[in-house]
Amino acid sequence: MTRRVPILAAAIGLIGLALALACGTGEAEKPPGAEAELRDERLLVFAVAYPLQYFAERIGGDAVVVRFPIPAGIDPAQWSPSAEIVAEYQAADLVLLNGGGYAQWLKRASLPRRRLVDTSAGFPERRLRESGGVEHAHGPEGEHAHAGVAPMTWIDPELAIAQARAITDALIAVRPSAAERFESGFAALERDLRALEHSFAVAAQELGGAPLFFSHPVYPYFIRRYGLNARSLHWEPHEVPTEAMWTDFRAALVEHPARWMLWEAPPEAASEALLESLGVRSRVFDPCAQPSESGDYLERMRRNVEEFETLGVNQPAVSGVQ
Amino acid sequence: MTDILFLAWRYLAHYRVKTAILVTSIALIVFLPVGLNVLVGQSAEQLTARAEATPLLVGAKGSPLELVLSSLYFESDVPDDIPWAELEAIADSGLAQPIPLDARFRARAHPIVGTSLEYFDFRGLRLAEGRRMAVVGECMLGARAAADLAVGVGDAVLSSPESLFDLAGVYPLRMRVVGVFAASHTPDDRVVFVDVKTSWIIQGLGHGHQDLAAAGAAAAVLKQEGNLITANASVVQYNEITPENIDSFHFHGDLGEYPLTGVIAVPRDEKSGVLLMGRFERPEVAAQIVRPATVMTELLDTVFTVRAYVVAAIGFAGVGTLATAALVFLLSLRLREREIETIVKIGGSPMRVAAILVSEIVVVLVLGAAFAGVLAVLASRYGSEAIRLWITS
Repeated sequence: MTRRVPILAAAIGLIGLALALACGTGEAEKPPGAEAELRDERLLVFAVAYPLQYFAERIGGDAVVVRFPIPAGIDPAQWSPSAEIVAEYQAADLVLLNGGGYAQWLKRASLPRRRLVDTSAGFPERRLRESGGVEHAHGPEGEHAHAGVAPMTWIDPELAIAQARAITDALIAVRPSAAERFESGFAALERDLRALEHSFAVAAQELGGAPLFFSHPVYPYFIRRYGLNARSLHWEPHEVPTEAMWTDFRAALVEHPARWMLWEAPPEAASEALLESLGVRSRVFDPCAQPSESGDYLERMRRNVEEFETLGVNQPAVSGVQ
Repeated sequence: MTDILFLAWRYLAHYRVKTAILVTSIALIVFLPVGLNVLVGQSAEQLTARAEATPLLVGAKGSPLELVLSSLYFESDVPDDIPWAELEAIADSGLAQPIPLDARFRARAHPIVGTSLEYFDFRGLRLAEGRRMAVVGECMLGARAAADLAVGVGDAVLSSPESLFDLAGVYPLRMRVVGVFAASHTPDDRVVFVDVKTSWIIQGLGHGHQDLAAAGAAAAVLKQEGNLITANASVVQYNEITPENIDSFHFHGDLGEYPLTGVIAVPRDEKSGVLLMGRFERPEVAAQIVRPATVMTELLDTVFTVRAYVVAAIGFAGVGTLATAALVFLLSLRLREREIETIVKIGGSPMRVAAILVSEIVVVLVLGAAFAGVLAVLASRYGSEAIRLWITS
């Protein structure tokens, strides 16, 4: 591969090669999209996760248009946008990434690298590996798993602040003239996030080391932040667990006598009733991964605080493990 | 004076074949060095323009010329790989914008170049049809590639296998054409552009296959131990990326180790470029950084040396041609003895006879030079285009 091209032979061949060229170049291709007029005035920002959209809107205010074009009811982590939607992302001034492999479709998309902002790039040492994931083996490369970094960093208010700071810096880099606007937006957002952090910290202190269950392993950053004595399951709120899952749960309950289960969304009534029969009450802790009519990120996180505060002051009576 | 020119012209017109041969010989001997200069000058200008438009180029240590020819003109052998981490390091330095290049495969005679969207802005390529590539498995064609492959937006292009007889080698990938560039009259016109990730899929570093955890994939499963599923040889791997199977495509290993054949580095400013070059001076760095303009200038210096030898050879041939022409004139004087005597007998002085003969020579030289001038103008205006068409046809 490193064979040297004889310079004389190359020189002789050069004339022919050069003559295959001709003069003239075209203009740079303008990005497509119907946002051209908006882009003259406001920055067009696309996000790959709802909280990032919320942060950018709070920070940018009227100076930005933020889009997260995911269809309703789709899990953003599993979403795979069409080529047409990817083309919309290409037209953005900034594309806000959550990092850590969140939004797998990014690995298969063509996006302008210089407009990508990895909002969690500033804290690689604080990322957590996701457990599980199906491994498979085929071909010469052997075994490999597709599990990656735990994605939902924004549930930890401290990490959310770091991500918001990264968004602010990226916006300022693109539009320095609006730096003051962006900084004031960030300051207001940071105040709200710090208040959240404080409320969660107080509630976690009241909870002490009481054991908890989370229905899904999407809360590792929250668990770590507040030092919770928690275990995560793989239960879906809209599905009643199978008998085998209940059996496993009963066994886990012996080792980890939790009185609370926190769900991503309100569970099925049957699941809730069965848990009650085991002395485990249900609460909802919305991970805020998707946009919702129930409120924006901050409103939903405040509701999470309210739910979380009830855990420490309202311990249910133990009815025994069957 | 007019009568002298008239007689000289009549003589030359009467012996039109001999005159045509003399004029053509003189025209060619004048044109060859001039035309060579014009064409080499044009070629050098075009080569230099593309090299100068590419500020810095990073690649594996080895021949700088090979790296430049491979990365700018998509010719020459494929240079050694550099890892994607080199590109990340350039980006992280903040000194330059890196643009990846992975030019190792072909679709028939056309190079497949894996790169990023920034390349098209950097080269000023303008879409004539369709849109930019959005996901893996899509490609965009240069104008010449689209014409040669007879494909347009919505059609498909197949990558060529590396070897017909290498059963374990790279299999062809069927890529959907989503855009065609307007002619830029550069090597980009011959290229099939893909995202660098698509290039890695062609190379086999990423692939898509049936979901081994799905119920219908039992026949493709050799064994399952806990979370580890081992596939057998019958696992269905896709050779075309479609909206239905794109989610199954994935990459293995550390992205930082993934190969590139080169990286174009566009520094923020001159100082950043110098600082970036300094980083590659360290002996532990496995890559080299070159200024393509410098490499091409060195190459062109060699070309100009070769040209000087060629011009000297043409000069010797020219002297020989002029000597032959002089001989033809001298010999023709003997044949024209009676004609000259007749002119003297009817009152023509020896001076007038000499003037007629000199006029004949001057007319031939002027006609030859004029013909050479016309050829030089044509060469300067249409030469490179004509030869380009001849070479690429």
